Amino acid sequence: MKKLIWTLVAACSVGTTIVVAQRIITNPKPDAELKQVFPAAVAFSALGGDPLHFKAYGVDPKTNPDAQPIGIVFWTTDMVPQEHGYHGPIHLLVGLDLKGTITGAVVDYHSEPYGYFSVEPPKFAAQFKGKTIRDPFIVGRDIDAVSRASITIASATRAVRDGSRLAASKLLPPEATK
Amino acid sequence: MQVPVESWQDILAPQALDLVLMAVFVAVALASFFRKSVRWKFVTFVLAVGYMGFSKSHLISIVDVFGVLDRNLPIAKYNIGYYLFGVFVIVSTILWGRVYCGRICAFGAMTQLMDAVLPAKLRVEPPPRIERHASRIKYALLALVVVYFLATRDMQVYRYVEPFWMFGLFGTTAMWIGLGVLLVATVFVRNLYCRFLCPVGALLGLISNLTVFKIKRWSECRTCKICEKTCEWGAIQGPTIVKSECVRCDDCERLYMDQKKCPHWLILLKARPSASTSAPAGSSGAV
Repeated sequence: MKKLIWTLVAACSVGTTIVVAQRIITNPKPDAELKQVFPAAVAFSALGGDPLHFKAYGVDPKTNPDAQPIGIVFWTTDMVPQEHGYHGPIHLLVGLDLKGTITGAVVDYHSEPYGYFSVEPPKFAAQFKGKTIRDPFIVGRDIDAVSRASITIASATRAVRDGSRLAASKLLPPEATK
Repeated sequence: MQVPVESWQDILAPQALDLVLMAVFVAVALASFFRKSVRWKFVTFVLAVGYMGFSKSHLISIVDVFGVLDRNLPIAKYNIGYYLFGVFVIVSTILWGRVYCGRICAFGAMTQLMDAVLPAKLRVEPPPRIERHASRIKYALLALVVVYFLATRDMQVYRYVEPFWMFGLFGTTAMWIGLGVLLVATVFVRNLYCRFLCPVGALLGLISNLTVFKIKRWSECRTCKICEKTCEWGAIQGPTIVKSECVRCDDCERLYMDQKKCPHWLILLKARPSASTSAPAGSSGAV
């Protein structure tokens, strides 16, 4: 009996770990979106690194092997996988330059019941462009509130805020977070 | 400039006002319920429609049931009010029955206000037999949407089984037409949606079978029909109150207290003078 219980506990914890660790891929090749969130870049690396991100290049590293990244692009779901709205995570693709300024953001996938009039309209994600990781990101102050969809809007805003801050501290040069 | 870090104050400050206003609203609703006050019940309706409805769109939706089913709910620390309200609705239903449906739900409050304003001559009372059958539709609808959700994981079905999105003023033309039809029908059959169709009401109806503090009934209720005829919700069938249909509107309980209308008091008061003047001790007038 004891053995059975332990087996069950082990099975459950392994199952939970798998579920938690699982990366939800909604858009494995977001080429058009990459360009959209980082217009200054001409080429992007494959998704890689820890935490997962794309490197953005101003000159194509294929033609110039010395090319240095001018910023990064990341999925909020890779930076802050624990963040979720009314019903699960809202997947945003965010571009960040080397100074910690957001170059663009787009909402890709979400399962929010009231998402279609809150985070889906492009003007929601557009307002993050030009903000820096030092901005407050307070809904109703520097981010527009959409009444009656506050859970969704607040979560998407936290995803961009916390995702950008984490990405900057882990992936950008130390000056970015100073 | 340093990159800011989220503090508890950052988490709590944006929620403070909503929590206070929600507490005030729930306090008014409960006060109206405990005092059996018609006036305060209507104050509750107006607050429910205005604040919980059009201002906050905070209603219990089938979407919340879906969230519980696949254990995918908002983060608690950022949504304290969401959880407190949910717990209040479940606990109040276990304690007293569908109080939520009767005065806290913004849509129910709105149709009850409609009923109070519209001329009574427009109203059609469905015969009890039809009413009894119709009241089961909501359980079928609940089962149907839950099975549909578990099979497809499509939450958007809420748009077609509940009208609560109306408080957010966002809907497609088809949704608004559907709502229009429902509201026109509600002019003739009062609280039509709550009584016959609402899946959330059906779920609370199931929970209300546990009700701890039930409505008192006199022995005279076995033969008297006054409350049964008065009940706007078709919740009284002969001597029994059907818990799952009762929304604790207080109408019958106000009748019980009315010593000029309730036979229990009429018989008691008639018996008492004779008991005190002529009847011998031991043969009181109790029925």
